[in-house]
Amino acid sequence: MRIVIGEDDALLREGLALLLRAEGLDVVATAPDADQLLAAVDRYEPDVAIVDVRMPPTHTDEGIRAAVEARRRHPGLAVLVLSAYVEQAFATDLLANGGARLGYLLKERVGRVEQFLDALHRVAAGGTAIDPEVVAQLLTRTRSDPRLDRLSPREREVLEIMAEGLGNTAIASRLFITEGAVHKHIRSIFAKLDLPPDDEADRRVTAVLRYLEDAQRRA
Amino acid sequence: MTSTPGARTTPPDVSAPLDPSTPTDPSTSTSPPAPARTALSARARRGAVRTLDALEHVVGGLGTGVLALMTLAAFVLTALLSVVGVGLLVAPEVLRAVRAVADRERARLSHTGATVVSPGPLPDGLRAQLGDRDLRRELLWTAVHGTVGIGLGMVALTLPFAAVRDVTLPLWWRGFPELVGSTDVMYVAVTSWADALVVFLMGIGWFVLAVLVLPLLARLQTWPGRALLAPPPGADLALRVAQLTATRAGALDAHMAELRRIERSLHDGTQNRLVAVTVLLGAARRAVVRDPAQAEDLLERAQCAAEDALADLRAVARGILPPVLADRSLADALTGLAASSLVPCTLRVDLPVRGAASVEATAYFVVAEALTNTARHSRASAVTVDVRTTGDLVRIVVTDDGVGGADEAAGSGLAGIRRRTAAHDGTLLLTSPPGGPTTLEVTLPCGS
Repeated sequence: MRIVIGEDDALLREGLALLLRAEGLDVVATAPDADQLLAAVDRYEPDVAIVDVRMPPTHTDEGIRAAVEARRRHPGLAVLVLSAYVEQAFATDLLANGGARLGYLLKERVGRVEQFLDALHRVAAGGTAIDPEVVAQLLTRTRSDPRLDRLSPREREVLEIMAEGLGNTAIASRLFITEGAVHKHIRSIFAKLDLPPDDEADRRVTAVLRYLEDAQRRA
Repeated sequence: MTSTPGARTTPPDVSAPLDPSTPTDPSTSTSPPAPARTALSARARRGAVRTLDALEHVVGGLGTGVLALMTLAAFVLTALLSVVGVGLLVAPEVLRAVRAVADRERARLSHTGATVVSPGPLPDGLRAQLGDRDLRRELLWTAVHGTVGIGLGMVALTLPFAAVRDVTLPLWWRGFPELVGSTDVMYVAVTSWADALVVFLMGIGWFVLAVLVLPLLARLQTWPGRALLAPPPGADLALRVAQLTATRAGALDAHMAELRRIERSLHDGTQNRLVAVTVLLGAARRAVVRDPAQAEDLLERAQCAAEDALADLRAVARGILPPVLADRSLADALTGLAASSLVPCTLRVDLPVRGAASVEATAYFVVAEALTNTARHSRASAVTVDVRTTGDLVRIVVTDDGVGGADEAAGSGLAGIRRRTAAHDGTLLLTSPPGGPTTLEVTLPCGS
């Protein structure tokens, strides 16, 4: 897997590259700002771009904009956005064109190397990785939705993990249940939320996140 | 003053607002052997000072009176010419002249008593100018001061002139018999020594009258200005409210900028360091089994990153409020600042008592920001910081020997200083000619 990193903090940039290389991944370039990141993506055409949200010159949302632009130029590019804090509004921007090959994680998730690598591979393979924090924000802000209240506690757990972008196998192993049970829970969830059933993980994520956003607007 | 026997006999000073300098006359507090004579000479001296002051004021008033009369004439002429259209062309200039003359009178009045605040320059455009309420009051003032004021000034000047002429008459009347022999010039035809004596006595009378009346005339002459050129009652408060609104907005802006700065240094500095720690620790854990030597190296790096994070955190905390300022004193905090200044800094602090915490913090940040500016832009080789209390003000003067040319519009540092200062009702004065030196002077009310 060929990777380009866009991160303005030198220590973190090098740390990240070090970690990924130690795991046998191919970090082909690192960039300290959005422009250089886009140039590196154009030049090396990597499989994945790992992008920090706040970069020079304004330190606001350069990373998000660079990610959107990079995907416009290279539709097959997987992008994993890392951020000092997660904001559901950013997630909405990113997911505007669907959740395929897209990740949005808190920076410190990188330290949990196995999960991070898992998310990285998932995104590179065409899936989605949404930070549990984003899902939690969406859920806490939509507490008053009556259809969500119909979910059982277990279904809610499944919903949360599903919203992060994990597939049935991963959900099953995270919750120590069988894949068949996961499948049943998901069908029940989609029915209770009046969503059309879908087995494709990334479309599922988008549907669930969109549902939660709509619910928020209704509340 | 009240401790000396002589001073007790001093009557209340009726014209105190006009001559604040007289009570400091040193003769009132000396020579106890002849108290009566001292008191008398003190009174005489004070009377003389008061009369001369009044004379000076009257002459000044006469000056502005003549100016007022001229602008009044110009105004009337312009108004008449405006009927046929021509006057409209010069009208804005004439109205501006009215404001200028009124401002001159305001300055004169502020010199001798309570400050009379100018409403500032006239707006552009004749319509807006004519709608200016202050301008209409100023026009009324030119009419009063240009006539009554001049009249009062003439009378007031005639008195000392007549006094001097009549008192000295015995010395020179014989040399000009034709001049003094008719009632054309004199009110008494002087043809003998007896006449001259009468006129001399009258001169004494003029003299006494001048001493008694001049201060009164001087004050009378200022009355139209004080009544018409000061902002109308209520305007003062409206102005103050507008000013407070502006400074409050400035303070909130400064506060927001500060919060933004803190948020940024926490997220982009400290948090990044800590993320690096977790990344390195994560990598180290993965390496423990695979390659213990690399794990050791990664742990070492993680520890360094954690130490960096702590240093960052300390810097952020110090940026919010320096602990030494909170725990010790402003002087100690400033000493620390001066020591860490990139340009060699000489510090003079004279702060006998502690001020309000917010004022001290502002003073600290003013100095910090000023030193940063000096280091960044001035190319100075030395900078002096002087902080002292004067009355109920803290005065901060930062001077460097750099290239000057500091521009408040260009750098955000100075604007920040101004906002912080204004929020405390303080003042900021920046002198920075091209070529230097640059002097920044900030005064803050102590507020304790």
